[in-house]
Amino acid sequence: MSAAEDEKLNPELQEEHQNQEEGDVEPEMEYGDEIGMGYVFYRDRKEWADVDAVPQDDGPNPIVKIAYSDKFMDVFDYFRAVLQRDERSERAFQLTADAIELNAANYTVWHYRRVLVQSLQKDLHEEMKYITAIIEDQPKNYQVWHHRRMIVEWLKDPSQELEFIADILSQDAKNYHAWQHRQWVIQHYNSHSKRSVAQQNRYNLLQPTIGQAPVEFRQTHAGLCPPETGSSLTSALEILQDHCLSTYPNLLEQILELQQTHSSPYLIAFLVDMYEDMLENACSNQEETLNNALELCDLLAKEKDSIRKEYWKYIGGCLKNKYGTTEESKSPSEEQ
Amino acid sequence: MAEEENPVAEFEEIDFLKDRHVIFFQRCLQILPERYSSLETSRLTIVFFALSGLDMLNTLDVVDKPSLIEYVYSLQVLPTEDKSNLGRCGFRGSSHLGIPYNPSKGPGVNHPYDSGHVAMTYTGLACLIILGDDLSRVNKEACLSGLKALQLEDGSFYAVPEGSENDMRFVYCAACICYMLDDWSGMDIKKAIDYIRRSMSYDNGVSQGAGLESHGGSTFCAIATLCLMGKLEEIFTEKELNRIRRWCIMRQQNGFHGRPNKPVDTCYSFWVGATLELLEVFQYTNFEKNRNYILSTQDRLVGGFAKWPDSHPDALHAYFGICGLSLIGEYNLRKVHPALNVSRRAFEHLQHLHQTWRAQNSNPHTESVPICT
Repeated sequence: MSAAEDEKLNPELQEEHQNQEEGDVEPEMEYGDEIGMGYVFYRDRKEWADVDAVPQDDGPNPIVKIAYSDKFMDVFDYFRAVLQRDERSERAFQLTADAIELNAANYTVWHYRRVLVQSLQKDLHEEMKYITAIIEDQPKNYQVWHHRRMIVEWLKDPSQELEFIADILSQDAKNYHAWQHRQWVIQHYNSHSKRSVAQQNRYNLLQPTIGQAPVEFRQTHAGLCPPETGSSLTSALEILQDHCLSTYPNLLEQILELQQTHSSPYLIAFLVDMYEDMLENACSNQEETLNNALELCDLLAKEKDSIRKEYWKYIGGCLKNKYGTTEESKSPSEEQ
Repeated sequence: MAEEENPVAEFEEIDFLKDRHVIFFQRCLQILPERYSSLETSRLTIVFFALSGLDMLNTLDVVDKPSLIEYVYSLQVLPTEDKSNLGRCGFRGSSHLGIPYNPSKGPGVNHPYDSGHVAMTYTGLACLIILGDDLSRVNKEACLSGLKALQLEDGSFYAVPEGSENDMRFVYCAACICYMLDDWSGMDIKKAIDYIRRSMSYDNGVSQGAGLESHGGSTFCAIATLCLMGKLEEIFTEKELNRIRRWCIMRQQNGFHGRPNKPVDTCYSFWVGATLELLEVFQYTNFEKNRNYILSTQDRLVGGFAKWPDSHPDALHAYFGICGLSLIGEYNLRKVHPALNVSRRAFEHLQHLHQTWRAQNSNPHTESVPICT
């Protein structure tokens, strides 16, 4: 069937052809269309006639076999062949692009491509453009980020990185690969700041200082729904978990005040932890502190964080056992 | 105070469809459509999910164990005659390089790019154990050489000797390999422990590496690794362990999520659940809400589980959904070993093997000749 006949029978092809003529953006092609549009299998390309394709061999009882199309198998049969003979050529380099397009998660293809990039002394800036496009398309693939890191290292040029990563994060702010790459870039190439990136993040959170944090917290969340987890206050307090009371003796007062208007489970849990710290440091009013802590555990279990009621009952029990008097540390009868 | 009944839930089918999941795993072991091509290099992990899943369901007898054992052994990267590739030994994820089929009988072939992958060596060994094999065709020295070659200065591991990303996932894989082979010479334990300590975040979860965001998956990998090493209480103080417990238990929303402010996902019922079990506080989680969430992601038609309700199921979420239910004590499921991530039955088989090996080592005259050198 000629390409023209194919087009007549297939209205989608007709439309795509029209778009191309009108100078539109290149339409997405279904792989099957390529056969009608002039795609040639590697096994039919005369410039590859010297290479014997190498098929996969899963033995007599293949397991978890993937049903590859003819086209897919053809590309990889030829990839396996050049890989085996460790051929360092332009045709092998182009073949890796075809293989990557079919399966960008094949780490051997990426490694071999890097070997060829170095062997053939390919333009690393062109390679950056290539990997940029692929990551935009598949931002949750491990291999593409690793490849980018290698190119940046070879170029010794991180100048595009922060902007690129910001673009990826604008599409998914929680992409772990993106943040990991960002930290690597900053740590590896930041000669000005001696601080680690993690420290930089923490310092950002601590601006303003902890003393002002409750004020800022209140202002930020006034009138809004209960603060979500990981709010600036809880993060800031977590950072100081070992030093709060000695460094900020008025903190307890401030948090108790905040509890009146913003009694999130995180805030109350933090109070429990503060009370435990005080008990551990043999504060003067042991009994009162313990009772305050137990009351809060009860509040969390019954009302504020009931999904974790068994846990808060357990925490209360631990505190009682550790800091209660002999009377108090007797296990209470189970409340219904 | 009685919990509110959700009237809709009463009408919802939230029963565990065991038979569907058996069929689902069997189908995985047969053939997958081309759209799963990105799994090619990690097919062995899919074998693991299916086999370990069937094991948890107590239906391993539906598979042909001997031919599966042959298949797994065909993925071992064996030393060549001149032993020049010892640092590249282990197991492959699949036959994607085109190496001729060889179920570990005789030496390896020379190939410039053939090497093991740490996650495949881990799941390969686990599959053999699950299938009841005695690991006699595993070249332990070669596997351990291959593993040593992957460890970095900072204590973490690459996946492959050619280089890759490095993070807590591969620390866990390495620990499982050493544990199963009963030989920790495959790694510098001190450095690995140091990497774990440095990966604890200010919020008391554990990240993939120092300075990164804490995550349910990496927290599992870290804690499970320390448990396999027998060093959990040596490395963390009780105070630190309490803080990790708190971070983990706060991940429960109904099911579990992997990071604060992310949606819940079935597989975290295992990653976080198993961690809580290792930390001895899983009993204080809300079993009902966890179970209801996992079952809401069950695919009633084709079997398996997905990360979210009304989503496509896959082998990973099917397996971890079942493991999540196992932790809760779901009826008719085997118990999962929370550190090694195999059934207790498989774990006991491994312990038995270790006893045999140790007895042989203490009496060299009874040592059996390995079939494969």
